Amino acid sequence: MVREKETTLYLGPQHPGITGNMMVKLKVQGDTVVSASTHVGYLHRAFEKLIERRNWIQAFTLLCRFCVPEPDPMELTYARAVEELDNREVPERAKYIRVIVMELARMQSFMLWYAGQSGSAGLYLTPQWSVGDRNYILDLFEDLTGGRIYHMYIWPGGVRRDLPKGWTDKTLRTMDYIEKRLDEYNKILFDNTIFQKRAQGVGIVPKDKAIEWGVVGPVLRGTGIRSDVRIDEPYEVYDKIDFDIPTQEGGDVWARALVRKEEVRQSIRIIRQAIADMPEGEYYNKVSNPMKWTVPAGQAWARTESVRGEIGFHVTSDGGNKPYRVHVKGAAYTHGVTVLEKILPGQNIADVSFILNSLGVCPPEIER
Amino acid sequence: MTDLLKENKLLDAITTSFKIEGKVIRDHRVEVNADKNTVSSILLFVKNQLGYIHLAHMTCVDWIDQGEYEMIYTVYSPVDKITLFVKARIDREKPIMENIDTIWDQANTYEREMREMFGIEFPGLIGEHDFILEDWDQIPPMRKEFDTHKYAAETFFTRPGREDAKDVREEINKRSGAKVPDFAKKYSRE
Amino acid sequence: MENDKNSQKIVDYIQNFARKHSLFVLAYGTGCGAIEIPATMTSRYDAERFGIRGAATPRQADVLLITGYLSTKTLKRVIRVYEQMQEPKYVIGFGSCTINGGMYYDSYNTINGLDQYLPVDVYINGCMPRPEAVISGFVKLQELIMAGKANNGEKYRENLEHYRSNQKKIIKNWKMPDYNW
Repeated sequence: MVREKETTLYLGPQHPGITGNMMVKLKVQGDTVVSASTHVGYLHRAFEKLIERRNWIQAFTLLCRFCVPEPDPMELTYARAVEELDNREVPERAKYIRVIVMELARMQSFMLWYAGQSGSAGLYLTPQWSVGDRNYILDLFEDLTGGRIYHMYIWPGGVRRDLPKGWTDKTLRTMDYIEKRLDEYNKILFDNTIFQKRAQGVGIVPKDKAIEWGVVGPVLRGTGIRSDVRIDEPYEVYDKIDFDIPTQEGGDVWARALVRKEEVRQSIRIIRQAIADMPEGEYYNKVSNPMKWTVPAGQAWARTESVRGEIGFHVTSDGGNKPYRVHVKGAAYTHGVTVLEKILPGQNIADVSFILNSLGVCPPEIER
Repeated sequence: MTDLLKENKLLDAITTSFKIEGKVIRDHRVEVNADKNTVSSILLFVKNQLGYIHLAHMTCVDWIDQGEYEMIYTVYSPVDKITLFVKARIDREKPIMENIDTIWDQANTYEREMREMFGIEFPGLIGEHDFILEDWDQIPPMRKEFDTHKYAAETFFTRPGREDAKDVREEINKRSGAKVPDFAKKYSRE
Repeated sequence: MENDKNSQKIVDYIQNFARKHSLFVLAYGTGCGAIEIPATMTSRYDAERFGIRGAATPRQADVLLITGYLSTKTLKRVIRVYEQMQEPKYVIGFGSCTINGGMYYDSYNTINGLDQYLPVDVYINGCMPRPEAVISGFVKLQELIMAGKANNGEKYRENLEHYRSNQKKIIKNWKMPDYNW
């Protein structure tokens, strides 16, 4: 009879398999995980305290850095919450531009997810292809806003500048190229027996408890529940654009990968429709003196759909020219702490990093 | 225009059962103001009877002039698509609030963070005390009387020339001895 | 057996030439700058043609790339990792937060400049630096290695008291092993 001892293993801050800078403390017996606990706090910058020291307009330079792989939904949600408090209208052309920027951000974040998910399974060709193609989308962002990663482009009242000449043609050519490449990714990743055997039946999130645990986004759509902020509470011009929400049954890593594979194609569809329907007109509802702008007192809650799930911003104002309290809730707050501690017992040690990538855990969002 | 039928129905259901006040802010948003001892019964009622199963958010606002903390619980129903805010006020000097860990498991994370950042006590909350900060020995940092700039200037070494809110053009020109050109004067702070 | 001056110069030249063409970077994303590292290492901006690739553990790495700001909790782990690396070792400070604190200068949890706690060879400024800027930082490090000026491992060893007193001011619960090289 073999007696197995229980050991503590620190999947620590410096590890090639961790998505970012956090620690997962595992108690293992042999090769199986018995219990897990998450330790965060390595990336805490005290954003909410710093925003209280800045103006309404200066605060949006800090907001991009909340979620590092996908900064644009943070800017959009803050802008929508402040517009609700200030009762400010946004012109039609600005709404279409915002939708295009959000879908491009969603696509470049998916390409980064391809790299992480296949890299943690040991398939190192996919990162070279997909991160290389992601640079074409970052080139589009650089033409439009001036920066590759942190844009600071969407602010309350519209967007900061109009589209440059020839940008829409370049975007449509890039979309055609990426659509062709998606078929090639299928061959090396989704039709690959190694990935299929590793992903099926691993990391299952049960359907009846998912909403209670706080699961949102593609993880929830992978269990079979059809829920997306873009159709539940449409914002900007999503109610005028035609697109599908893919769902899969099963709740394991394979179902979530299939959901994400389809969503990229839907993003391309949305961008093509938005470029075709965009009207001419104003792009910014001008604030008369941004450094001395005061917003009426009140509280607002805005939610948008980012690549990982639902993002919510709770903004409180007391009538002054600085925000009184801003509290941000990202999708990784529940996925990284509660859901991870509940689904890891019983899994293999080699699958821990695989599951972390599939849940979309991004530590800067958890501890801000 | 939407007729706000569902929102008014929800508001009536809560205010008649619990004898509290509330209002409909706009479509998809309803708020109620509760006493701090009845918050958990209201949340259990809306979760089990009315279908508000998704706890979207839990936050705390520090009203230092009124001497109170305001706790706000945000719940959402996927069927009715309405967001409900349940608000309660607690005292700022000795803050104690009910633990809703047994209703939603994810509330454990929010409450651990609030215990560390605001100093609120939740009786019955399990979990390690240090969630985000390590070896912190000052007052809870998100309280309004904590001055973060003063603490940072005293603890960490600041490079010279990095003081707060100086005009960049003036400082550079002072160091090299040149004058601010005329076209740039209109951006100057004076 | 001591070499005479000319043979020592030839030995140094070959040694530095070999060291500069194989820099192993530790896989540790300490802050927000870690988002430009996958782009630098993959097909478009290919850093592997310079000999730069990733290493999994501190014992196998040459370069510690501090990408962005450091919170006090991470600083303790970075010091431990730096002391586990073997000489010759280099530190590159990435982004404006390592130079003077950047945009988090008034935060109670981030340090305001890396120079006081670890010896730094090269700073790359920007927020974020582009992949071309990252590669030019590595080329500058290669020039320093070739000229024989990149020996901050010795500098840390000789001024250990100075660095330790700075580190202990920030990190209050000091339960770390002694530095033994």
